[in-house]
Amino acid sequence: MDPVLVIQSLISGVMMGMVYALLGVGFSLTWGVMHVIHISHAVFGLLGAYFAYTLLTLYGVDPVVSAMVSTPLLFIVACAVYQVLIRPLTKAREMVVASMILTFGLAIILENLLVLVWKADPRLLTPSYASESWIIGPFYLQYPHLIGFALSLVGISSLYVFLKKTTTGMAVRAAWQNQEAARLYGVNLFRISMITFALAVSTAGAGGISLALLYSFEPHSHNLWLIYLFLVVIVGGVGNVIGTALAGLIIGVITGLSMAFLPYQWVNLITFGLLMVFLIFRPHGLFGEVG
Amino acid sequence: MKKVPLIMAVLTVAVMALFPLLRPEVYYLSFLFTLFMYVVLSSSWNVIGGYAGYLSFGHAAFFGIGAFATAKMATAFSLSPLLTILSSIPAGLLAALVALIVGYPCLRIRGPYFSVVTICFAFVVDLAVKNIEELGGAEGLWMTFMDLPEETSRAIMYEVMLLLMVVTLATVYLLGRSRFGRGLTAVRTDEEVAETMAIPTAKLKIQAFVVSAFFPGVAGGLFAYYLSYIHPDAVFSINISILIVLMAMFGGGGTWLGPIVGAVILTVVNEGLSTFAQAEIARIIYGALFIIVTIFMPDGIIAYFRRWATTQRKA
Repeated sequence: MDPVLVIQSLISGVMMGMVYALLGVGFSLTWGVMHVIHISHAVFGLLGAYFAYTLLTLYGVDPVVSAMVSTPLLFIVACAVYQVLIRPLTKAREMVVASMILTFGLAIILENLLVLVWKADPRLLTPSYASESWIIGPFYLQYPHLIGFALSLVGISSLYVFLKKTTTGMAVRAAWQNQEAARLYGVNLFRISMITFALAVSTAGAGGISLALLYSFEPHSHNLWLIYLFLVVIVGGVGNVIGTALAGLIIGVITGLSMAFLPYQWVNLITFGLLMVFLIFRPHGLFGEVG
Repeated sequence: MKKVPLIMAVLTVAVMALFPLLRPEVYYLSFLFTLFMYVVLSSSWNVIGGYAGYLSFGHAAFFGIGAFATAKMATAFSLSPLLTILSSIPAGLLAALVALIVGYPCLRIRGPYFSVVTICFAFVVDLAVKNIEELGGAEGLWMTFMDLPEETSRAIMYEVMLLLMVVTLATVYLLGRSRFGRGLTAVRTDEEVAETMAIPTAKLKIQAFVVSAFFPGVAGGLFAYYLSYIHPDAVFSINISILIVLMAMFGGGGTWLGPIVGAVILTVVNEGLSTFAQAEIARIIYGALFIIVTIFMPDGIIAYFRRWATTQRKA
C-alpha cells in the first residue's frame, strides 16, 4: 500500500465524515428528544444546497454566507412545520411510526417541488476557489472540501455549546433523558420540541451546503444521504452529539479507505455489511445513549 | 369468521376469479395483478410488522430473492411455463430460509434499531446480487415468457396471483386468531411481560419473520416471470420496502383488514394519479395524502373507522 494514498484517503474521509456528522446531529436530536424519525431531514439539507446554488449562480454569493443566511430562515420555516404538521402527532398511539409516515410524505412533496423548480439535473456548487487546493508536501486539500469541513466543525461545536451551556439547551437534554421528569421540573415540552426540530432543520441546511461543496447533488440525492444519516446516528448513539460527530469521522474514514483500495461497487457493500454486524452486537451505538 | 363475512369473502373471490372471462383489456388484468401482489406483500409484512410490532424495512429483500431465484431456475434449467410458475414456491422457501438465518441475530434488536438493521440487510442483498455475475450482475436476467396470446397469458398470471393472495390472506387470518397470533400481540404490547408469562418470544418472532418472508418470496417469483426480465433495481429498491410498510400502517397495522385496505387505496391512488396528472404533481398529491391521513387518522384508517363506529353507536 502506498502510504501517501492512505493518508490522502484518510484526509478526505475525515472531511466527508465531518460533513455527514453535521447533517446527522439534527436527525439524531429529533429522534432522541422528540421520538420523531424525520425522513425529510435530508431534503431540508438539499433545500439549503439549492438555496446556496441559486445565490451563487445568480449573485455570486459565497456558500459560507448562504449557510449563515439559510440557518435562521430554515429555523423559522421549521417552527411553522412543527406547529402545523409534527405537533398534532403527539396524539398518535405510535409516535415513531406516525412521524415516519408523515415525514415520508413531506419528503416526497419537497423532492418533487425541487424537481419542478430546479429540474432533475445534477448540480455542483462551484465558488471561485472551486479548483484551487492547499498543497502540503505530497497531499492535496481542495478548498471547497476544507470549507465544507470547517463549516461542519463550526456547526457541530456551536450546537454542542448551546446544548451544554444555555438553559434552553439543558432543557433539551433533560427532555431527551426523561420527558416526564423534564415536564415535572417545568419544561414546556412543546416549546422544547419546536426548538429542537428547528435547530435540527437549520443545521441540516448548513450540512447540505457543506455536502454540496464536496459532491454534486440532485433532487433525489436525499435518499442516499438519509441512509448515511441512519448509519452515523446509529453508530454514534441516538441523541448523542459528540457520539454523532465521532461516528461521522469513523464512517468517513472507512468509506474513504475502502474507496481508495476496493472496486467501487464493493464500497457500499462493505459499509452496510459492517453496519449490520455492528448493530447486531452494539445496537445502542459505540458511545451509548447518554453523553 | 362469522357466516356472513365468510360468504362475502367467498363471493368476492369468486367474482374476481371469473373476471377474466369478461375479456377485459390487458391493462386491467395487469393493474389487478399488481394490486394483488401488493396485498400479498403488505399482508405478509403485517405478521412481523403489525402483529409483532417489529417494523421490517427490508422486505423488498425477500421479494427480490424470490424473483432472482425463480429467474435463475427458469433460465438455468429452461423450465416450461408451468414449472416456472411452480418454481416460485421453492423461491419462496429460499426467502424463508434467508429470513431464518438473518432473523436469528436481528430479531434480538428492538424498536427503530431493528428497522435500521433490516434496511442494511436489504442493501447488502441488493449489492451482493449486483456483484454476482451468474445472476446477471448489474444487467439483470431475461426469461422467455409463455408462448400464448397476450390476453390468455396475462389472465393465467392474474389467476395465479389471485390464488397466492387468497392463500396468503387465509394464512394470515388463521395465524392472527391462533395462539401464535395472540403470542405475537403479547410481544408487541410488552415483550418483557410476555417473556415472564412463559411465552417463547424469541421462537415466535423468528416464526413470524419466516412466514412474513415466504409469501413475498413467492410473489417475487411470479413478478419476475410476469415481467420476464428482472433487474436488481426493480425488486430491491428501498422504495418497495417503504411502500410495503406504508400500505400496512396506512390501513392499520396489526389488523387483518388494514394492509388490504391500505394496499388497495394506495395502489389505486397511485395508478389514478399517474394516469391523470403530470408526474411531479402526482407525486406531490401522493405525498400530501400521507400527511393528511397521518394527521387525521394517526393510527390508520381501520382504527379511525372503528372509533367512529363506536361513537356512532353510543350517540
